[in-house]
Amino acid sequence: MGLSTLTTERQTDSVHLVHLRLRDFRNYTRLEVEFRPGFHLLLGGNAQGKTNLLEAIYLIATLRSFRGVGGAQMVRQDASGYFVGATIVGTSTSEVKLYWSVKERRLSRNGTPVKRLSDYWGTLRAVVFCTEDLALIKGTARIRRRFLDLLLAQTSPGYLDTLLRYTQALRSRNALLKQHRLDEDQLAGFTQELVGAGQELMRERRALAPRIAPMVQSAFHRIAEQRDALQWEYAPQVDGDFNVALAASRARERTLRTTVVGPHRDDIQLLINGRSAAHYSSEGQKRTLALALKMAQAEHLTEVHGAPPLLLIDDVMGELDANRRAGFLPLLDRARGAGGQVFMTCTEENWPRDLASDLSRWKVQDGQLRRAVADA
Amino acid sequence: MTVLPAPLVQLAAALGRLPGIGPRSAERLSLHLVQADKQFVEHLAAVLVGARTSVGPCQTCGALTEAQPCGICADPNRDGSVLCIVERPVDILGFEKSRSFKGRYHVLGGKLSPTQGVGPEDLRIAELERRISGEGVNEIILALGSDVEGDATSHYLARRLRAVGLKVTRLAQGLPVGSGLEYADELTLGRALEGRREMSPG
Repeated sequence: MGLSTLTTERQTDSVHLVHLRLRDFRNYTRLEVEFRPGFHLLLGGNAQGKTNLLEAIYLIATLRSFRGVGGAQMVRQDASGYFVGATIVGTSTSEVKLYWSVKERRLSRNGTPVKRLSDYWGTLRAVVFCTEDLALIKGTARIRRRFLDLLLAQTSPGYLDTLLRYTQALRSRNALLKQHRLDEDQLAGFTQELVGAGQELMRERRALAPRIAPMVQSAFHRIAEQRDALQWEYAPQVDGDFNVALAASRARERTLRTTVVGPHRDDIQLLINGRSAAHYSSEGQKRTLALALKMAQAEHLTEVHGAPPLLLIDDVMGELDANRRAGFLPLLDRARGAGGQVFMTCTEENWPRDLASDLSRWKVQDGQLRRAVADA
Repeated sequence: MTVLPAPLVQLAAALGRLPGIGPRSAERLSLHLVQADKQFVEHLAAVLVGARTSVGPCQTCGALTEAQPCGICADPNRDGSVLCIVERPVDILGFEKSRSFKGRYHVLGGKLSPTQGVGPEDLRIAELERRISGEGVNEIILALGSDVEGDATSHYLARRLRAVGLKVTRLAQGLPVGSGLEYADELTLGRALEGRREMSPG
């Protein structure tokens, strides 16, 4: 092994996607492509498959679509199932294969079927920036909870297991509450499980707040035009002892026949100048805040793992004015500088020419990906 | 593709209903069986039927047995005051191999699962309570799985049985013997820490 290979290995402490294979995924009948570390610009007109490519990469990282759709929507029309295969290189190499059809789902890493989700988690970490991010501000608490859960699952070992335990205990408990004759002893058994996992979830979420809040704030200030004061607060539905809150909700949960208190109803409160960002901010401020949340996610991941996550940026540059763009670009530069990988979609007209020149340009057209010739 | 004779297809379909046998394995096994030594196949059929007819659950503890009651329930040297509660008959095997338990067992036949419609009346809990009042039991050891449903079933039983004034214990959870910490997942390690014990002075 030559000296040069040694140094490259040193640099690639970060994880990146080196090979992607698609079969019958969205509008891709067949795709086979190699990616280097660094910056990738995916250029093309509308409805050519730029976002689909990001969606496939995000799927490998999180096993779900950032468009909030199920597997059936990702299968190419007239096909029976989709396949996404990826080679990921980090401290070790992972060969991931994901197949989905109505009848069958298969996920394997290095030839072994994945049995526990938490074993797979962390193979590839990605942060996506897309227009749907606006729902983090305007949407329901569920969307903010999902953001919180994803971030904790990406950074805290054991969080995903606890979340799965909580979800199962909650489902069982709700099934009991819906039964004709309520069995108090059984309910108590599942309540104990719910409380155990629930308190752990709340503890983790509470502990994250002071770490992530300053990152959101500083990201917001870097891209916001005004010096608005921003606050991020974890807003647990249960403040205090979960057991006590459950006992107090007894009458209500019996009428509604479902568990009405707990971390499954938590939220994040976002305040701009002390007022709810969802209700009292301009459209531009909302966009800035959504972007700041995602930048904070990327920075937190970098801090925890010592390597930047994959950044997937879907058409957001077009929406940003010069100021916010100037605040956003350094994040991309840092990610690239740390040996990370960035994938960004753009239409031909508005790709940011202020980016450095050492980028790979790809042309996306009708479910095909071709390397574009270097800038003339 | 050649069409297989109907009896062969039937055999493959029957074998395919066994756990862990997919369509490919079922086909391979049935092809093997129809070409195997006839004596062997007759023997296999005989032991299959024989085992199914003579083995059944022990009416007392629920373990698989040929005699009623089973060997463990009938053994006068076993300590009848301690009952170990397990989910399935096969769980008894592990304890017996370890030779570390001298009490008796009780097979529950599953665990509480509200989402699958499994309630206390579907488990062998009434039988358990009958045994407790009839056999002079004073300690119950809960040895159920540690998933959500297993743990909830343990909580449930502990509640119900403590009301009768029994001592109820559950298995400790922690590290596998002889392995390093690096192989334990976070949840196991957390529980092992929770259930730590003071070291006895040497």
